[in-house]
Amino acid sequence: MILVIAEQRDGKLNRATWETIAGAQQLAAQTGAPITVLVPGANSAGVAGELAAAQVKEIVTVEHAALEPYTPDGFTAALQDAIGSLSPAQVLLPHTYQTRDFAPKLAARLDRALITDVTAAKAAGGETAFVRPMFQGKLTADVVPQGPGPHFVTFQIGAYRADQAARGQSPAPVRALEVKADAAAIREKPEAPFQQARQAVDLSQAERIVSVGRGIKEQANIAVAQQLAEALHAEIAASRPICDAGWLPMERQVGSSGQTVAPKLYLALGISGAIQHLVGMKGANTVVAINKDADAPIFEIADYGIVGDLFEIVPAIIEAVKK
Amino acid sequence: MQIVAFWILLLVFLGAFAAQVARRVQLIAAAPGTIALDQLGSRTSRFLLDVVLQRRTIRERPLTGLMHALVFWGFVAFGGYTLTEFLHGLGIVDLTETGWFHAYRIALTPFAIGVLAGILFLLVRRAVVRPVGLGTKVSLESVVIALFIATLMITFLLTFRLEEASMAGRANWWVHAVVILAFMALIPASKHLHLVLSPITVFLKSPELGNLPNLDFEKEQVGLETVKDLGSKSALDAFTCVECGRCQVNCPAWGAGKELNPKTIVLQTQAALLEGQRDRKLGEVYSEQVLWQCTTCGACENQCPVGIEHLPILIGSRRGLVSNGDAPDYLGAMYNNLERRSNIWGLGYDQRTKFIQSAALEIFDATKHDVLVWLGCAGSFDADFQKSLRSLFSILRAKAIKFGVLSKERCNGDPAKRTGNEYMYQELANGNIEDLKAAAPKKILTSCPHCVKTIGNDYRKFGYDVEIVHSSVFVEELLRSAKAPAERQVVTYHDPCYLGRYAGTVDEPRALLERFGADVKEPERNRDNPYCCGAGGGLLFADKEEEPGSRISDVRFKQLQATGASTVVTACPFCSIMLKGAQASAGAETQFVDLMTFVNGKLTKQA
Repeated sequence: MILVIAEQRDGKLNRATWETIAGAQQLAAQTGAPITVLVPGANSAGVAGELAAAQVKEIVTVEHAALEPYTPDGFTAALQDAIGSLSPAQVLLPHTYQTRDFAPKLAARLDRALITDVTAAKAAGGETAFVRPMFQGKLTADVVPQGPGPHFVTFQIGAYRADQAARGQSPAPVRALEVKADAAAIREKPEAPFQQARQAVDLSQAERIVSVGRGIKEQANIAVAQQLAEALHAEIAASRPICDAGWLPMERQVGSSGQTVAPKLYLALGISGAIQHLVGMKGANTVVAINKDADAPIFEIADYGIVGDLFEIVPAIIEAVKK
Repeated sequence: MQIVAFWILLLVFLGAFAAQVARRVQLIAAAPGTIALDQLGSRTSRFLLDVVLQRRTIRERPLTGLMHALVFWGFVAFGGYTLTEFLHGLGIVDLTETGWFHAYRIALTPFAIGVLAGILFLLVRRAVVRPVGLGTKVSLESVVIALFIATLMITFLLTFRLEEASMAGRANWWVHAVVILAFMALIPASKHLHLVLSPITVFLKSPELGNLPNLDFEKEQVGLETVKDLGSKSALDAFTCVECGRCQVNCPAWGAGKELNPKTIVLQTQAALLEGQRDRKLGEVYSEQVLWQCTTCGACENQCPVGIEHLPILIGSRRGLVSNGDAPDYLGAMYNNLERRSNIWGLGYDQRTKFIQSAALEIFDATKHDVLVWLGCAGSFDADFQKSLRSLFSILRAKAIKFGVLSKERCNGDPAKRTGNEYMYQELANGNIEDLKAAAPKKILTSCPHCVKTIGNDYRKFGYDVEIVHSSVFVEELLRSAKAPAERQVVTYHDPCYLGRYAGTVDEPRALLERFGADVKEPERNRDNPYCCGAGGGLLFADKEEEPGSRISDVRFKQLQATGASTVVTACPFCSIMLKGAQASAGAETQFVDLMTFVNGKLTKQA
C-alpha cells in the first residue's frame, strides 16, 4: 500500500498534496498497489472531502492533540503510530517546508530509508529508482531505497502536475484513524506563525499576467491593457518606468527591483525587455511579446512575438478572446 | 628662572601630549594587524605627491588646498626654527646668534606670510563660509587652533621689530613658546592629530584602491563583526581623519540623500575605539542599513587626502553581517542565483551558448587566438549589452584579431566580494582561475570594468596574474590609424567607477570618441572621480523604494542630462542598465550608446 501524507493547515489544503497524489498514482500504475491518503490535523473534514475526489482507495483522517499546533515531535509521534497501524510499503510526501522539518525525524525514528526532493520515479530492473538533484542541481542521481519498508519519499514541488492527478468515478471512502501519541512529551512550544506583511498584490501567484512597458506611451492607454487583462482574467503588471511614473502602483512592478513572477502566460505589451525586467519574469511558462521594435531584447526570450503596434493588436486580441 | 619655568611648562605639556598619543597608539597596536609595507615604490611616490606636494588636498579644492599647502609647507619650514628656539629657551645650547640662523629666519619670512594668509583664509572658510562637508557645527577648537597658528606667525614676524632682550621681546618669545606648547597639548584629541599621523597613514595606505585581503577560512576568519575586529590600519585611519568631508561630498549615496556618510563611518570608528566598545557589533555602530547603502565606487577612499581606507571597514563589516546571515533579502536572491547558476541573473547557461553560436564565436585556443574575450554576466545574458559585444567583435574581425571565448564562465565574483559574501566569491574565483589557467590566455579582453578589476586585480591574491584590458584600451590602440569622420556629434561620456577610478582608464575612451567624431561635453564629476551609476556593491538588485533620498542613478542621469548632450556614451554594462532605467523613468529622450557600438557605427559608416 502507498501512503500519501497530505498537508493542510486550518482546513486549507496545500496544493502540493495533489502533486504527490499524481506521483503516487504513477507508482501505483506500475505496482498495482492501492493508495491511501492520510490527512493529519484538526478541521480535516473539508480537506478529506476534497481529496476524496482523487482516484485512491481511501482517505484516512487523523486528529489528535499532538498534531495541533504543528510540531515535529507531535507529528513524528502521531504519524509513527499511524504508519504502524496502516503498515504501508511506501510513504510519499510533498517536499514542503513542513515535510523537510519532520520527515527526516520520522524516518530516523522508524529507522527507514528517506529519499528527499525527488523529481521523478522510474523502473530500474524490477525496482523503483527515484530521481533527485545533487550538487545544487548540477547532477541528478537515481536512488533505489534499501532495507525494509516503508520507504519514505518526498516529491519536489512541481515534479508532478496537480491537474494530472486522476479523479475517481465516485468519492473515495473517508474514515478516521485513532492514534496514540503523548502530547505532553512534545518539546517544542511554538508561537503563533509569523505572518509576513502581505503585499496588497501578490503577482507571484498569478496564472496570467498582462504587463505594460514604456510602449504604452500615456497613462490613458493603460485602460487598453486593463481591458485585455479583464478579458483574459489576468493580473496587470508593469515594468519600472510605468510604476515610477505612477501610472500603476509600485506593487505591480515586475523585475529585479519589483516582484518575481512565474505565471503560465506572460503578455508583455511594449516592454523592451531590459535584463532587470527579464530576471523578474524568467519563470513564466509562455511569454508573448508585442513590441514595435523588432530588435527589442524581449523577443530573445519570447515564445511568441508580434512586431507591431500594440494599439492595433491588443484590441484585436480582446475581440478574439471575447468570441 | 625663565629656563626653569620653560622646562616645567615643556614637561607638563609634552606629558599631556604623550599621554593622549600613547592611548591612541595602544588602541592601534591592540587591533589585529592589517598594516602592510609592500610596493614601497608606489608608496613613496604617493607620499611625495600627497604629503609633500599636497596633491589630493589641492586637486579637488584648488584654492583651499593651496592655502592648506602654504600652512603645511610653512610648518615644515619652521621645524628647525622651533627646535633652535626651544634648545635656547631650555638653556641647552644657544644657536640663535649664529649667522646661518639669521639667514634662516630671513628665509622663513615669506613662509610666515604664506602661513598667515593661508590660515586666515581657512579660518574664514570654516567659520564664515561653512561648506557642507565640514559638518553643521562650527568647531570651536579649530577656530582656537587657527588663531594659535596666526599668533605664532605674528609673534615670529614681530621678532624682526622687537629687541629680544627687551620686556616686549621676552613677552613675545613667551607668547610664541606657550602657544606652541598649548597647541601640542590640543593636537591628539582633535582632528589636528592629522599633523602627526597623516604622513604615516598616507604611506601605509594600500597602493590598491579598495584593497580587501581574502578571508582565510582555514583560520576561521569571517569578516568584521565587532569593534575589536577592526584592523590596525582602520584604527590608525580613525585617528588620522581631518574631517574635511571630501569623502562625504563625493559619496554618491550621500549625494542622493541616503544615510551613508563615509566621514561619519570613520568618526564612529574613532568614538567606538576611544570609548572602549570592543564588543559592540559593527552593525550597531554604523547601522546595518547604512552599511548596505555603499556602492563601493571608491570615491571616499580615492579622494581622501590623509590616506584613509573606507572600503575595508564597509565591506569588512558586510562580511561580518553575511557570515551571520544578516544580508538583505535581495542579496539572498542574488546569492541563490550565483550558487545555482553561477551568474547574477539566475539564468541558464544555454542562453550564453546560444549567444556564442549566433555571434559565431570560437572557443578559445591559446595556439590559435591572440586574446581571450571574457563575456561576463552581462555579456553572457543581457541582450542589450550583447549588441555592444557584437560591435566589439566586428571591430576585432575587421582588424584580423584572432579571439576566442571560454566554453563556460562563472560570474567573476565581484557582486559577492563587494557585498561581503567572501565564501561565494572565493568559490567563483577559484573555479574561474582553474578554467583560465587551463585555457592559458596571454591577454584577456573584456568590456566589463568590474571584470577588469576583479580578474586583473583581486585574482592576483590567489596567485593568478594575467593581463586583462578593457575594450576601450584595446580598441583605442587598435584603431590609432583611423581617420576621423568629417561630421561631429556632441556626446557626453559617463566614466564607470571601476574603469575611471579603479583602473585609471580615462584618456582612452575619450581619445576614441574624439577620433570618431564626438565632441565630448564633460559632465559634472568625471574622469577618475565620476559619480556612481548606483549599480556597484550589489545595489544593482536593491533599488528599493523604502530607502530615503532619490535613486543614485536618477541623480547621475540628471548630471549627464545637464551637459545638454542628447547622447550618453557608456563603457560598462551595469552603468548602462542603471542609467537607461533612470532615463526610462524620467521619460527623457536621451540616447544611450555603448562606446564599442559608437566606434563600430562610425567605422562601418566610413567603410
